[in-house]
Amino acid sequence: MAVLARRLDTQFQLLEAPPILKPAITPRIVESGAGEAIRNLRATLEASIASKLTSGSELVRAVARHRRDEILPTTIPPLDALLGGGLARGKMTEIAGRGTRFSIVIATLAAATSIGEAAALIDASDSFDPQLAEAAGIDLRRLLWVRPHTMKETVTAAEMTGATGFQLVIIDLGAHRPPGRRVPDAAWVRLARVAESHGATILVSAPYALTGTTSEAMILAHAPRPRWLGRANAPRVLAGVETRLKLEKHRHLRPGQTTTVFFQCEEAISGSRESGVGSRSTEAVFSDTRLPTTDTRKAS
Amino acid sequence: MTRLACFYVPMFVLAARLRSEPDLLHEAVGIVEGNGSNAHIVAATRRARKKGIQPGLSLAQARTLLPKLIARGRDAECERTAQEALLEVAETFSPRVEDAGEGVVFLDVTGMERHFSDFGSGESGVGSRSDEENLDSPLSDPRHPTPDTHHSELRLARAALRACDAISLPARVGIAASKLAARVAAELPKSPTVVAAGEEATFLAPLPLTRLSPELEAAAMLQRFGLASIGDLAKLPESEIASRLGEVGRELHWAARGIDPRPLMPRPLPPEFREGMELEWPLVALEPFLFIANAALDRLSKRMEIQGFACKRLEFTLTLDPEGYDARGIDLPAPTRDVKTMLTLMRLDLEKTPPGAPVVGFSFVAHPDRPRRAQLSLFGPSAVSPEKLATTIAKLVSILGDGRVGMPTTVDGHLPERYAINVFSPPPPPDMKRTPARARGLLAVRTFRPPIPIEVTTREAEGDDMQIASIRSLANEISDPRPPTPNSRSRIEAGAKVEIGGTVRICSGPWRIEEGWWSDRPDIREYWDVELERGGVYRVFRGGAKWFVDARYEM
Repeated sequence: MAVLARRLDTQFQLLEAPPILKPAITPRIVESGAGEAIRNLRATLEASIASKLTSGSELVRAVARHRRDEILPTTIPPLDALLGGGLARGKMTEIAGRGTRFSIVIATLAAATSIGEAAALIDASDSFDPQLAEAAGIDLRRLLWVRPHTMKETVTAAEMTGATGFQLVIIDLGAHRPPGRRVPDAAWVRLARVAESHGATILVSAPYALTGTTSEAMILAHAPRPRWLGRANAPRVLAGVETRLKLEKHRHLRPGQTTTVFFQCEEAISGSRESGVGSRSTEAVFSDTRLPTTDTRKAS
Repeated sequence: MTRLACFYVPMFVLAARLRSEPDLLHEAVGIVEGNGSNAHIVAATRRARKKGIQPGLSLAQARTLLPKLIARGRDAECERTAQEALLEVAETFSPRVEDAGEGVVFLDVTGMERHFSDFGSGESGVGSRSDEENLDSPLSDPRHPTPDTHHSELRLARAALRACDAISLPARVGIAASKLAARVAAELPKSPTVVAAGEEATFLAPLPLTRLSPELEAAAMLQRFGLASIGDLAKLPESEIASRLGEVGRELHWAARGIDPRPLMPRPLPPEFREGMELEWPLVALEPFLFIANAALDRLSKRMEIQGFACKRLEFTLTLDPEGYDARGIDLPAPTRDVKTMLTLMRLDLEKTPPGAPVVGFSFVAHPDRPRRAQLSLFGPSAVSPEKLATTIAKLVSILGDGRVGMPTTVDGHLPERYAINVFSPPPPPDMKRTPARARGLLAVRTFRPPIPIEVTTREAEGDDMQIASIRSLANEISDPRPPTPNSRSRIEAGAKVEIGGTVRICSGPWRIEEGWWSDRPDIREYWDVELERGGVYRVFRGGAKWFVDARYEM
């Protein structure tokens, strides 16, 4: 068939190995212009200097190793302290339970995009708000927003984006697991391998623990408590939500440590409010839970 | 002194065809023009010519001589793309290129020989006279010393020959001071041929008059006068020729003396790259078409690479059987020359929307753009490979559907649910490592898309504002179940139907938003934050007489 324009001997080269071309004339080895003076200079280099010399390929590999050993801080001081500095690069970290998981997701995306990294959000519950994200400091130009329908599509999308080269991939499952069949545990193992081989940081935010032993660390969020400004019949404003975080598992740290984080509403940040919450620093807001508000719920 | 080069592709119609079907190179192939009894051979491969197939024979005569002759009709699309490819090669040597059509291209190479000068001439094996190809030509005769410019122009011509071979066009190259002399030099069998400045008349003199075609329409008449060579014509007085043949004769006389007043007419750069082919019979399956398309995309990619371009948008038109066209376009997230990426995107598009009829031809048009450089960074974050990104996003779109993958952007407006999805095209990362910006610590909301309609009971409050006493979801589908506790995990399955509703413990609001006040139907809403007795803090709004819950504060 003439339209099959490829010849077998070019398409299937295993059928007949191409001849090995040999030069007709053996090339004469030529010194690269280095004279006697250069050779003497090399010989006089101290051994300590010579031992520190490295080739270009070695240098690139060392930089890649260094990157994998780095930490991506979430810029939430209590959480970073709990994780030993932040999210481990090339590893998978999980946050499960009730509480301000999505706020942690938004803060982490803001941290990654602020340093110029490309991030992907696999939003299984389709609950991402671009306006709020921009207000929280996310550089939307560096964010790929993926909205799968099922659990299988969620994991597939995470694997594909991790393998493409995104430095941060976040899977957010919302308040409940997406419809569709439950994915096998091997899917999380594969995802962890993608993270390791491509140096991607993967964060899984789920209503309950899913990744098992494949994650580097696991944080449990619980006991969320809303805080309101104002009392009794006075006008109320939602100040924010306080959550307790517990380190359930970590490969290198002792589990069991707890901390508390408080995320505040943007309206409560304004300095015109009576309680004066707005002008507080980020660290003070995160660490100080003694706010002059009405605590309407008991710890659950 | 102006120096012009001519690229000439012998038997261009055959060369263009073989460029698309290289496996026919060693077969007995004849290119046919015309239909039915008027079909005649215009070009034939060497194997066919050895069997007596010559241009001018009718197809029937040719088949009588060689029954196994492979006949191919002239392919206008192949010829056009081959001519384009030849022009692009010429443009890599000079920006001033003239398209003379039918496999002929002129280019201004004045001063270009300096890029091909040999600084190592004189050392063994480099640039010596033993490397000269035209040893028989008087211009390269060792008994006639040639300037260094001649060597440089020869190297330029050889480089042009190699470039033409790279795009599968067997061209010949001639360099001279005029278009006429350059073309005649290019048409000589031995290539490349360089005519020294001022030597055009001497070069043309021994050549037959037929070499001056197409200008020589009066060749037959001049031969009856006993003129056999161009030199014979040049020796005659110009006035005598002009008086017998008129203005045509005067021009012929100038041409015989190597005088060609026609300037080079350079063409503007094409805004697009095109490849195409007409198929011998219709294709009904996708895989054979992609097999052929892969070769065409590969040629397209190489042509773009020569000029330093990449494909930003790929348009392809399929010619259907028995009639009709299917035109499509693919926008690439980033300019790319990766054939695999373009082929994958084409496959995804065709699988998603098949043409619906057999395909008898195709045409690809690549809109060029400068490729985005993805530079490895030692100190800053590494960039995502544009080609990998294009393929990944295309695959995600094919899996999830349009509008589910992209870069989120805010829309200018007051309503909180407004957003847009754009093509993801991240800016290059910074050169140096940065410290992450400190988090603002904002509480995130989980948006409900679309907003869930609810029923609200209210109570009077101090002042004019009312307060919400209770809410009840009117939606039948899942809204937002509470996260499962460890004991209730088994009961909370994906897709469980749980309503939003209950008595309101704390109500905060309203905040009024108005958008489009200048229009006939402005969007006016009142928002409340409500905390329910059973748990959960929600954002509720009233638009007109209807109530909705559009977000949940994360808890």
